[in-house]
Amino acid sequence: MKSFRYEYGASPVHLLVAITSLVVSAWALSQVLDVLATPGRFLLWFLGAIVLHDLVFLPLYSLLDRGAAGALTRGDQPSRLRIAALNHLRIPVLLSGLMLLVWYPLVLGKAAAGFENTTGLSTDVYLERWLALTAVLLVGSALLLAVRARRLREH
Amino acid sequence: MDDARRPPSPPLPDAGPFRRSFWRSPLRGPWLASFLSSALLPLIVVCALTGFLSHAAYNPGVGSNALFDEGVDLYFFDWPTGPTWLYALTQGLHIITGLGAIPILLAKLWAVIPQLFERPAVRSVAHALERLGLALLVGGSLFVFATGVLNIQIYYPFGFSFVPAHYFASFIFLAALTFHVVTKVGVMRAAFRESGVLRPLRGDLAHTEPEPGLEGRHTSAPAPAAAAPPTMTRRLLLGTVGVGSAALAAMGIGQVVGGPVRNLALLAPRGENFGDGPNDFQVNKTAEGAGIPMDKVGADWRLTLEVGEKRVVLTRDELLGMEQVTADLPIACVEGWSTTQSWTGVRLSELARMAGTAEGAEMQVVSVQPAGVLRQATLTGDQVAAEDSLLALKVNGADLSLDHGFPARIIVPALPGVHNTKWVEKMVWEAKDSASMPSPSGAA
Repeated sequence: MKSFRYEYGASPVHLLVAITSLVVSAWALSQVLDVLATPGRFLLWFLGAIVLHDLVFLPLYSLLDRGAAGALTRGDQPSRLRIAALNHLRIPVLLSGLMLLVWYPLVLGKAAAGFENTTGLSTDVYLERWLALTAVLLVGSALLLAVRARRLREH
Repeated sequence: MDDARRPPSPPLPDAGPFRRSFWRSPLRGPWLASFLSSALLPLIVVCALTGFLSHAAYNPGVGSNALFDEGVDLYFFDWPTGPTWLYALTQGLHIITGLGAIPILLAKLWAVIPQLFERPAVRSVAHALERLGLALLVGGSLFVFATGVLNIQIYYPFGFSFVPAHYFASFIFLAALTFHVVTKVGVMRAAFRESGVLRPLRGDLAHTEPEPGLEGRHTSAPAPAAAAPPTMTRRLLLGTVGVGSAALAAMGIGQVVGGPVRNLALLAPRGENFGDGPNDFQVNKTAEGAGIPMDKVGADWRLTLEVGEKRVVLTRDELLGMEQVTADLPIACVEGWSTTQSWTGVRLSELARMAGTAEGAEMQVVSVQPAGVLRQATLTGDQVAAEDSLLALKVNGADLSLDHGFPARIIVPALPGVHNTKWVEKMVWEAKDSASMPSPSGAA
């Protein structure tokens, strides 16, 4: 038992679960590559999703956040007001960005032709709705900051 | 694990993201990752179960409903015909939990990203398998969520068939998730023992310290080695994630519940209202979208009941002359929206009786629609026999509109929307003998 742990790096149960999981994945992968007319596109999207998220999307929003944080909270001891201002910018932008990420085909009209032909509905409303939502979030957050500012300045 | 033999591992530089001190957020750590996971897991479990239920709801065992030729449709029972809102509920939950999980998944990936760059890249065989599993977990989760979200917006930039890709990728995702949960449940327990389940939510900014880290454990979410001063409490971060999750879930709920609640679905694909007329409700596919030839749904339209060689042909007026039944039933779409309407028409059981079919026989419905997998669907014997299963001619007291399937459409309780075939032209049963009797082997 000890020597198994030494050679493998974890318990036999770990190995059993690992093998079962990988066998199921391999089965599903072989099925889907067999069924699809364009198996290469499946692999491209599967691996592309990892690369795009981990090496493009996440670094990009982290850099944007670091840029905003750098601009608003310079110095060793940023005031509570400046930190609050950063969050009153961060949070509406984050929520608005999340909505755009999920609904961009409708908001940016990417889905327009197929969507209208299929559902009988227009995608025209979505850009306005997203812009309005973004405006409400930003303005609401700014107003809330203005209300809080006096109290924060006292500290 | 440190005493394990180390397999060959690529040499990674002690620089950039590979350096522990590169990751400076004081919020990252095993507690944060565990907290997000415990919110994410129930949503994924519900989403997965309802996803597989949806597969069963299409009755892959009868007619040519099966998704795949190779017999890899997994389901264990015939889909019931009640309660009427069953599929609206299960598929609504699928989309609502799926949408709600997205912000939590993204936050979770943010919380553990430093571990992508851990050094050494491989500590042991076990660790190598875990990392392979994590690649499948991250790829699988992003893949199923992305394809699902694009599908409900009827946007197909991916260039492969959605249903099999989403279906099989979910096996990869769930297999990898199971492996991950088994290997990490100890870390979660240790993190909650160390920090408490909710205690880190209470600290204000002055008390937002980096997590202590877990003694003697390699975790996917180590506390930072050189933390920057906090600009946000854990409560604020998780509250924001929660608001995003709730907002997306609310949009999903709006699409399912309908009525005035539909207005919640601000950015969701079925958040628009049509109007107040009898036919003003959501359309899965318009007549134009389905390519319905106008000459085949005009005055010359006939319904053919086909049993083996036998034919019964009915005009729309003849159908209207039969006993009319009204039922309030939802159209519940796989895309996660539904709308309940009052349908009037002839019972399917009455048409089956008229055609002279065997009791409880399956029935194939064929549409005027010239092409597409869903131009036909097969209903089980139970679905044909159900009280409220209709060949609807009217909705809310008016003739069906062309987009809702004029001259006649199927409406069956608890059946996925697209199997309620529109623009019906033919109902087909196998000949009585061949349906009910085993083939006489060797009798020739």
